Amino acid sequence: MRKKQVLIGLIGTKLDTPSGMRRWEEWRPSISLFGFEDLLIDRFVILHQARLEAALERIEADIHHISPHTTFERHCFDFNDPWDLEEVYDKLLSFADHYPFDPENEDYLFHITTGTHVFQICMFLLCEAQYLPGRLIQTSPPLKRRGPTWRIIDLDLSRYDAIAQRFAREQAARVAFLKAGIETRNAPFNQMMAEIEQVAVASTAPLLLLGPTGAGKTRLARRIYELKRLKKQVAGPLVEVNCATLRGDAAMSALFGHARGAFTGAIRERAGLLRQANGGLLFLDEIGELGLDEQAMLLRALEEKRFMPMGADEEVHSDFQLIAGTNRQLWREAHEGRFREDLLARIDLWTWRLPGLKDRREDLEPNLEYELREFSRKESRRVTFNREARQRFMRFAQAPSATWRGNFRDLNAAITRMATLAPGGRINMEGVEAEIQRLERSWQGGDSGPGEVGLVARVLGASVALDEFDRVQLEGVLAVCQRSRTISEAGRALFSVSREQKTTNNDADRLRKYLARFNLHWKDIKTDEEGA
Amino acid sequence: MIEIDGSLGEGGGQIVRTSLGLATLTGQDLTLTKIRAGRQKSGLLRQHLTALEAAAAISAAEVDGASLRSDHVVFRPKGIFSGKYHFSVGTAGSAMLVLQTILPPLMAADGPSEVFLEGGTHNPAAPPFDFIERVFVPALIRMGGRVKVTLERHGFFPAGGGRLRVQVEPSQLKPIEIMTRGRLQRRRARALCAHLPEHVGQRELKRVAQRLHWPGESLELEMISDAFCPGNVLILEIESEGGVAGFTAFGRRGIPAERVADEAIDAARVYLSEDAPVDAHLADQLIIPMAMAGGGRFRAGPLTQHTLTQIETVRRFMRCPIKVERDGRCAEVVFG
Repeated sequence: MRKKQVLIGLIGTKLDTPSGMRRWEEWRPSISLFGFEDLLIDRFVILHQARLEAALERIEADIHHISPHTTFERHCFDFNDPWDLEEVYDKLLSFADHYPFDPENEDYLFHITTGTHVFQICMFLLCEAQYLPGRLIQTSPPLKRRGPTWRIIDLDLSRYDAIAQRFAREQAARVAFLKAGIETRNAPFNQMMAEIEQVAVASTAPLLLLGPTGAGKTRLARRIYELKRLKKQVAGPLVEVNCATLRGDAAMSALFGHARGAFTGAIRERAGLLRQANGGLLFLDEIGELGLDEQAMLLRALEEKRFMPMGADEEVHSDFQLIAGTNRQLWREAHEGRFREDLLARIDLWTWRLPGLKDRREDLEPNLEYELREFSRKESRRVTFNREARQRFMRFAQAPSATWRGNFRDLNAAITRMATLAPGGRINMEGVEAEIQRLERSWQGGDSGPGEVGLVARVLGASVALDEFDRVQLEGVLAVCQRSRTISEAGRALFSVSREQKTTNNDADRLRKYLARFNLHWKDIKTDEEGA
Repeated sequence: MIEIDGSLGEGGGQIVRTSLGLATLTGQDLTLTKIRAGRQKSGLLRQHLTALEAAAAISAAEVDGASLRSDHVVFRPKGIFSGKYHFSVGTAGSAMLVLQTILPPLMAADGPSEVFLEGGTHNPAAPPFDFIERVFVPALIRMGGRVKVTLERHGFFPAGGGRLRVQVEPSQLKPIEIMTRGRLQRRRARALCAHLPEHVGQRELKRVAQRLHWPGESLELEMISDAFCPGNVLILEIESEGGVAGFTAFGRRGIPAERVADEAIDAARVYLSEDAPVDAHLADQLIIPMAMAGGGRFRAGPLTQHTLTQIETVRRFMRCPIKVERDGRCAEVVFG
């Protein structure tokens, strides 16, 4: 059984009501809808004003000639002021509430050619909000060489190919922008960036970026800011700060500012970073390093958009979006009382873990291209690899033995060094070999490199008191543990020599006991690896 | 099951209506595909749906795909059932086209039928009632058809609402030949004016008198008051020993009456310059009855694409051989 087609429309007080024979030569929008060869309307729900009652007889008779099977249903619809949006919307809404719509068996078309513009707007709004369960239909008057026309206005924009394609194109462009134009190939990473794009353009809530140092948190925060600025979603500046650099009173004052004379040496008033970020974006990297007092103040600033600068009498206002970065296990920190749970709950809303470079080996090549391009741009000279050198470097870079401990920071440093030393702007085999040795040395050594936090510090906290002798050993053990999927696998790797000699099988137990000396459990190490 | 590709020939509504009429007439199942493919609004439109409903009504057919814009229809007739019918055509669509669909089967039915058709009787996209009454039905009667058409109300575009009564008796059609025009017997020009000033029709008739030199007694102005909307049509009839030919033109808003008249006059002059007795529209309409008669022949001016499509479609349904022979600009169509 075919669904019945029902038209619901207002009789136009001027256009629909001419009388006399000439009316057939005029364009009557409501009547014209029944004369189309490709549109068959079973029922016309006529919305009309009381004073048009007389004209309705004629209108129905005329429609009956051109559409003999159509039935009619009249609804009197009187507006005191048809230009008053509140009144028109209210009357249409109560019609929508009371009309016995039967979408299982009937399709509804709402005619928006007649009525005041306010009426048309209200029809549109109610259709869009699905109070009126159907589609909009519009008629147009005849032109010179063609008769009148009709068309359905479908409000589902995704159904229009051109618009959908445009949306997709713009979105793809924004994602590419976030990735700094690097054509990354790692599927989980690309998916994550697509999600970040969606949230970045749609939300002003805090964003939390996790991931090892050098994974690109800062770069991403900057791109998010640029994207929002291009979309005119932020007017204020991007303010970046690494919380690890803030200590004691200086931290409070740097973040929240101080009044003149707030403490010894506070000679002038200071606005503080939060106030600088007003209307813009605040990137707090290493947010786990923030002291508890600063955390409390930050929470208030996020919730109330107000806070008290040091030594001030009055609160100040600042409205900013927060992006927080961390490499720490914030929930564990919160559990152990080092991080405020309420603050964490506030910022752990949109959380993404940026993978390290070793987990995105397929992205090494596009990032290498990017770094070369950037170097060439900054130094205004073109640098390229020769073919063998490039193959050698990529082989090394993608091998499992390359840990890329400093992630993109390592890659950036490697390219910068090779490019700087490249004779005639051409990186050759010699340069690559030298760089490979340099990288290997830095990854092998206990030396974590500048800014790098060792595994021991990550697992036990930076302030743990430990003999250097134990630290070096534990660092090595933890590295193996992180590479291994199970404790047995780690045990086998760590005790392979003694195992061959003694043919014992309790490697896992031995490892467990070793870790216990530092109050560590296997799952502590692994959760640290796998994230919040 | 006969399968007809609806995009063949002109690929319009004609092949749909003709196929439905022939399936009903011959009692064969029909699948119509690619209905009106390639047209701006493809598939079945309202006027085609009405023809489909009418054909299904007189044949008690099972129908699949009878919906607006459908491009695929399966039609299984169960017989031809004479009786009293009433069909309404919306959009001022031509009731005459529906009549052309159901008339051949109703002539082949066992008993008499009475059909009331409502809708457009004078629609520019089809031969007007007057052509059917004065040109086509007389030709049918010569073949043994027992058909009577009566106009009860004029239905012009865009209001439609005309009404027509059709009485059909079972008819055994016999082969006839319409090969020569013979002596000219009568000429008539009729200008119909509904809710329009008299001068519209008078100017059309004056133009006919000027260009065709027809005498005053052959010119008739008919003022029509029963139509629901204004309308104007000029009908030229040329009757000779070989039969009647007709030429029509419809008045349109913004087109001077003289130019409207010229359209019918030009067609009549082409006809008069040749010697074939059958005009282009009648040629089209004669194909099915002549095939039903199983024989006969006629001579007409250049065959239209419409007529050639008609012949092709009839060949799919009926055994009667149809041969087309060219004779200069004219053509001879031979049945049986």
